[in-house]
Amino acid sequence: MQSDFVVSPFSGQPMYLQIMEQMRQKIAVGEWAAGSEIPSIRQLAVSLCVSVITVKRAYLELEREGVIVTRQGKGSFVAPDPALSPRLYQEQFSEHLDRAAQLGTSLGLSDREIVQRLRKAVDKVNETKLEKEPQ
Amino acid sequence: MNYAMVRRLILKDWYLNRWIIIASVPAGIGALAIVLIGKPIAFMLCIILLCMIIIGVGAQLAMVTTINERKDQTLAFVMSLPVSWREYTAAKILANLILFLIPWLALTAGALGVLLLPGATHGLVPYTAIMSVEMLITTSLIVVAGIITESQAWTTAGIFCSSLGLNVLGYVFAHLRGISRFMWGNEVHWTPTAWTVLLAELLMVPLLLGLTFFIQSRKTDFL
Amino acid sequence: MNDVCVRLAGVSKKYPHFQLENISLELPVGSILGFIGANGAGKSTTIRILMGLVHQDKGSVEVLGHAMPSGQVAAKQEIGFVSEDMRLYGAATLAWHMAFIESIYPAWNQPYAEVLLRRFDLKPQQKIKGLSHGQRVKAALLLALARQPRLLILDEPTTGLDPVARREVLAELIAVLADEERTILFSSHNTLDVEQISDRIAFIDRGRIIAFDDKEALLDRWRRLRLVLPPRGALPQLPGIVEVGGSDRLPVLTTSQFDARVVSLCQDRGATVQAVDPMTLEEIFVANVQSRRELQPA
Repeated sequence: MQSDFVVSPFSGQPMYLQIMEQMRQKIAVGEWAAGSEIPSIRQLAVSLCVSVITVKRAYLELEREGVIVTRQGKGSFVAPDPALSPRLYQEQFSEHLDRAAQLGTSLGLSDREIVQRLRKAVDKVNETKLEKEPQ
Repeated sequence: MNYAMVRRLILKDWYLNRWIIIASVPAGIGALAIVLIGKPIAFMLCIILLCMIIIGVGAQLAMVTTINERKDQTLAFVMSLPVSWREYTAAKILANLILFLIPWLALTAGALGVLLLPGATHGLVPYTAIMSVEMLITTSLIVVAGIITESQAWTTAGIFCSSLGLNVLGYVFAHLRGISRFMWGNEVHWTPTAWTVLLAELLMVPLLLGLTFFIQSRKTDFL
Repeated sequence: MNDVCVRLAGVSKKYPHFQLENISLELPVGSILGFIGANGAGKSTTIRILMGLVHQDKGSVEVLGHAMPSGQVAAKQEIGFVSEDMRLYGAATLAWHMAFIESIYPAWNQPYAEVLLRRFDLKPQQKIKGLSHGQRVKAALLLALARQPRLLILDEPTTGLDPVARREVLAELIAVLADEERTILFSSHNTLDVEQISDRIAFIDRGRIIAFDDKEALLDRWRRLRLVLPPRGALPQLPGIVEVGGSDRLPVLTTSQFDARVVSLCQDRGATVQAVDPMTLEEIFVANVQSRRELQPA
């Protein structure tokens, strides 16, 4: 199965995290339907030209998160949880918020400044949405 | 001993060196043809040329098949095949022997045949046979030197010593009473002396080969 | 349920100017081991001992269940070996070599060989002596890959290849692992290649194994920490510090034993953690080797 993942050893992010992220996104947008079979660890490793152990790590982490399930001898599947997609987005949102908070405090921004910046970001998203809507 | 593997290795050496062998036969026949001129000097020339061809082929073959494997770094390729060091050694020895035997047999038969022509000096047959086998031994020696030392320098020295030895032995044999008495006669006369020399020579070959095997089996590092 | 494909235990070999000491490695079936070492560190010697081409002075070597060097003929039936200093016969063609190998190994896969010919852009009728270095390497790899051996032992398989060829070779190597019964051991200077496809990594320097670990675990526990120390602040004592760089107020620590507690340890001691940077395999290797060499100059 030809893979349409794109991973890069130079992106700065550990490879297994890149793989996890792209797998989550595929599930979030529905490209990989709930309960459907996903490539085996080795298959994905071969198509990405990445070591088996890295793909295995990604799969184990995702399994821990409940995003996928691996059945011995049968293969790996997307978890059948119907509320998966929104939950994934929730997880991502929390992660990004945490990260933003960390960076903000490292930069030395005050609490209010961080909230202001977040508000600006939300405003920007709403603007782009308006632009895209048909007139 | 995996005979199939040994055979494949011999065939490999044949394939890589076939031109040396193939070219030597017409060269040898050409040398023999010179004798048909009839003059004694043509005879001398023929002998010299034959010696050169046989020794040349033998030495070249031995050098190329043994030294070059290490020099050209193909030894790792061969030893990565499912073959033991013994099988490799056996294949090298046999390849050299068999490949050399082709021109050797052809030219020896040719030389003896020429000698048995009416009008030729038949008495020279035993001496020629003895010297011919001597060249076989010389080539074996060079092969052994190549296999054991795997050094171009040592093997070249071996070639030099063998050629020298060949000349010395040629002189010695020609002056042994049992041989010299009938050499220039018109009859083929095999004396006990001649037989003894021939037998001793023929025994040398397995002796040399056994020695090679023994020494090779003591080596532990092949690369 | 992983069987061990290759096992070296306490292997030593002495040469006049070099010594291989106490080499111990284990490679499970179905994985790739990447072997990194400087020139002359002992990679090639170790590989030759694995192939039974060099006899070890001490220690045991087991490959595919066969003791080496005594079982080398049986082992070599299932090992594909390509070495940087190995050459094919210049006067013969690639096609001849392919036929030669095919006659020896029944598992030769001709359709796959033809696929590789196309992928590696090789012409079978060409004589080996007319090939460039990169083409020769690819030819030797083709001969090893097309027989589909259970174990591939490769000494510098991507050295000297152009970037496109390297990618092709790496893709073929990882494709071998689609079969979980097949294993690869390869040595390389090319740390990026090793980092990309290896499951396990071994570092070798001056005849000794200085690291042997799962790749992910190795990459996880090495970090570069950028700290900001308060004035008159002391450097926090952390486990596994291999190198201290930077300045007094802005030190950069390289640690080989990073985990979640390290950051809080630093903060407890009054240091601000500016950044925690992961390190590439190359940086890890160099840091490892340099710190050892400082402790034990040659």
